[in-house]
Amino acid sequence: MSRLSRALLPVALAAGLAAVPACNKPASGRIKVGVVTNCADPFWDLCEAGANKAAKDFDVDLQFRQPEALDVSRQTPIINSFVEQGVKGIAVSVINPKGQKKDLTRVAAEVPLLTMDNDADPDTGRLCYVGVDNKAAGRAVGRLVKRALPPEKGGVIAMFIGSDISANGGARIQGVLDELATPDANGADATRTFNGRDVKGKMYGRYFLVDGEAKTDGGPDKNPQQYPVTMLERLEGVPDVCLVGLYAYNPPAILSAVRANKLVGKVKIVGFDENPVTLKAITAGEIEGTVVQDPYNYGYKSVEILAAVARGDKSKLLTQPLPYQVVTKDGGPDQTADGLTIKFPKAADYAELVRGQFASIGKSAGE
Amino acid sequence: MTRILGVLGLLAVLYAGLWLSSESGLSGRSLTSLANDQGRYGVVTLGAALVIITGGIDLSVGAVVGCAAVLFGTLTRDGLHPYPAALAVLLFGAGVGLANGLLVTRLKLQPFLVTLCGMFVFRGAARLVGTVVDQSQVTEAHPEFAGAMNALTYVLVGKDEKGALVFPAMFAWLLALAAAVGFFLHRTAYGRYWYAIGYNEQAARYAGVNVDRHRTVVYVVCSALAALGGLLLFLDSSTVQADSAGAGQELNAILGAVLGGCSLRGGEGTAVGMVLGAMVLPAIEKLVTFVGMGNRVIPVVIGLTLLIGTIVDELIRRRSRLRG
Repeated sequence: MSRLSRALLPVALAAGLAAVPACNKPASGRIKVGVVTNCADPFWDLCEAGANKAAKDFDVDLQFRQPEALDVSRQTPIINSFVEQGVKGIAVSVINPKGQKKDLTRVAAEVPLLTMDNDADPDTGRLCYVGVDNKAAGRAVGRLVKRALPPEKGGVIAMFIGSDISANGGARIQGVLDELATPDANGADATRTFNGRDVKGKMYGRYFLVDGEAKTDGGPDKNPQQYPVTMLERLEGVPDVCLVGLYAYNPPAILSAVRANKLVGKVKIVGFDENPVTLKAITAGEIEGTVVQDPYNYGYKSVEILAAVARGDKSKLLTQPLPYQVVTKDGGPDQTADGLTIKFPKAADYAELVRGQFASIGKSAGE
Repeated sequence: MTRILGVLGLLAVLYAGLWLSSESGLSGRSLTSLANDQGRYGVVTLGAALVIITGGIDLSVGAVVGCAAVLFGTLTRDGLHPYPAALAVLLFGAGVGLANGLLVTRLKLQPFLVTLCGMFVFRGAARLVGTVVDQSQVTEAHPEFAGAMNALTYVLVGKDEKGALVFPAMFAWLLALAAAVGFFLHRTAYGRYWYAIGYNEQAARYAGVNVDRHRTVVYVVCSALAALGGLLLFLDSSTVQADSAGAGQELNAILGAVLGGCSLRGGEGTAVGMVLGAMVLPAIEKLVTFVGMGNRVIPVVIGLTLLIGTIVDELIRRRSRLRG
């Protein structure tokens, strides 16, 4: 081997070793579980914080992965790697329940599998679903829209979401529309004229849904801000507008567009999930409110259940959805719906809680 | 031989890392699935590397991968039998390459700009063709295609009808295609022309080489292989999304080619090096999962690998110059 080659090999070795900062060949007998999300987002950082806590509490090794894009072809290899490693349980936020059914069925036959945030077809053999009832949570979003634009008068709404093929996406959209609809105006075609141009849409109650559908942006890596920006340009000068963001990154993207157009207060915003920017904007009165799922609890519950199942205990399996919460500037008393206690925390209090969860994984809330 | 020692060493370290990271890191199952991923990366890398050898660059391959994947799904869902649909997708790829080649050679446009525009055009085209397509849409719309889809998946990807990986078919295809590329590159006049064009285009012209024709052929091969990569992606994944399928693949392919010994200046590279270079990135991705590394670290690791590959490339180049 030449002198140069001998000199280069250590460089290559160094590169490889850099990639293996903590070889963690598991000690025999130690349970390892895997959690894979549907994309990378601060929402999932909170989930990771909860999962880490549960891994400590229930004495298991945890692998937590956030695929870089909302894309099944990025998520599937991670799930397969978990299986190859012999993990004792996998939690997955499903991206396309129909398209992934075959793969998830194969995985569930081999490894205890549960779904979180986004459910799969129960026929896959998944153990249970850790998440809120997204349709009910969508209805809560609809009630926030009604608060921003009272139903007697109605208004113009536009909805933004990463995907409408995911189980949670479709259910949330439907929940919002069901809440806004009336028997005589439930998706009826309509046309409005904005700035001299006809815009087609659908009526839900007295609310005109621009384009008749939620605008899908493909995920946080696809410049989601461009969609509300374009929408505001189309709706320039139109009164009683409410923009609704249904994935965690959507409300901050909408807020940014509204601020850029100096429309804060004039254009109402209703959100979903507990992005720190969203929570801060609610406290500031820029966003009406948001419906939160508590992803920290998703991570915690998922690992808790997988650890228990790995030890032969199936008593922890969930039989009903987890409760959502409605965060507003001033908060409110608890309410009961479908047997679940729904909390109405103040945005400032909830932001403090989220800040602590981020801090537990060494991250700032990034407001 | 000297040029592939660096990448061989890197691969050795990565596989050693896999062995250290988990008891099952080097299990047959793990190696089989890794080889299959490497095969899919490698097929696209081969084409990108050929373009690089002739002194060009193709930034559209990722978008062509995505567009081909969505196109195949949409064609079959809309009623075209999977076999002719697969052929149509490969022809689509060849057509893209022909367009790229003609724009570069006839209009004398910069390959970087032509293929960068192609990247936008074909990503957009994928979105126009369909947003999300999956195999269940095809078999639900046309149950009679299930047999052909399963057969294609088995032969091209190595998965059975339940989606379980039986053998690393994509790696086998990579080896077969690399053998063909190697034969052309190292055993025929075409290969010598391609090296000559990449090394010194003007000299190649003076020597009587039809530079434009050869360059066009190489772009056709590159895009056809990218389309094959898209077909493999669709058959391997349960779902493909127009806006993300194959995204970033162009850079991964260029990375694989450079790590495998292709010089971005053109005129250098071997088929063996292309295969080895293409094996690096999937091995890193597998390793970071097995180690339990956070997703945020992965781009850093990829960047460092590319940097080291570039350093190795440059050092060897200097050594060759000193010897010459």
